[in-house]
Amino acid sequence: MNAPTDRDLILRAKRGDAEAYSEIVTRHQTGVFNVCYRILHNRNDAEDLTQETFMRAYNRLNTFDIEREFAPWIKRVAANLCLNHIESQKVTLELDDERDEDKSANPSQQVEVKERSEQIRQALSSLPANYRLVVELRHYQEMSYDEIANELKIPLSDVKSHLFRARKLLAEKLYAPD
Amino acid sequence: MHLTDEQLNEYLDNETNEREQIELHLHSCNECNARFSDLQNLFLELDSLPDLQLTRDLSTRFATKGQLTLQLPHWLTLTVFAQAALALIALIISIPFITTYIPQIDVASLTSPLFEIQSLWNTWLDSLSTLQLPTIPELPIPVLEMSSLLLALAGIFVIWIFGNGLLLRNQIR
Repeated sequence: MNAPTDRDLILRAKRGDAEAYSEIVTRHQTGVFNVCYRILHNRNDAEDLTQETFMRAYNRLNTFDIEREFAPWIKRVAANLCLNHIESQKVTLELDDERDEDKSANPSQQVEVKERSEQIRQALSSLPANYRLVVELRHYQEMSYDEIANELKIPLSDVKSHLFRARKLLAEKLYAPD
Repeated sequence: MHLTDEQLNEYLDNETNEREQIELHLHSCNECNARFSDLQNLFLELDSLPDLQLTRDLSTRFATKGQLTLQLPHWLTLTVFAQAALALIALIISIPFITTYIPQIDVASLTSPLFEIQSLWNTWLDSLSTLQLPTIPELPIPVLEMSSLLLALAGIFVIWIFGNGLLLRNQIR
């Protein structure tokens, strides 16, 4: 028997079926958590906001167009929540010491991947919050410049300057000669 | 004349209409090509950043809830206020009728059935005190006048409307 699609699960969740929504959470929690983590760079905050995202999303299921993909929608809800969190808290973000998942068979490659991922996360965390958010929306949620401008309610010129400046800073950190 | 950072970024983001000119320049300019490769590498590294795993499964929190309650759409919650306003208007409109009908209600006609009910209650209590099975007497059905019926219905209507409002308010929270 085929696994139910997101669409089927959402239709059931809209009728109050908690198990269906729980399955939706299982499928998308890692993606949503990584959105939060890339923006906040704090595991506890990211996990709390992931949970908050699914609570908010459930309350807004009636506004969700069932013909659209669920993953991009929930990730945008998460990004918005992180933005609100940053604005309300004005947090000085604390970088967690994270370890990336082992996917490579070769141990030396695993170490290399971990180290490089760590460097990228460190570099991302050092960016100003508004730069990080634009990088998240462009690189991980694949939004266009116009969509980002609409989402963040900022001029198109600001989207471009934040994004290009962020990439320049990242390149300086990641490719700077030792 | 070299390509600007903006041109290179827009090219990699697929946000430019000058793709052909940029590609032509990249073929002929080593310096711009090197800058382009660096930027392309950065894109690749960002896009291949592996996902981290959660330390706890958040889905269990939702699974244990059994039946979830959806938040009502905003427009529907506004109808609560509309209902309350309508109930208030209905009450205001009914005031002249109430003031007209209340004096017409024959209070004496109500006291007689009430007195009968009270005496029946006393009979029941007496029967219970003797621990004998009481014989259930037939209750008289009071004949209500139209005015009393209207008043009762208006009262029930107002209570129902405000009850609904309270229920909806609790659901939104």
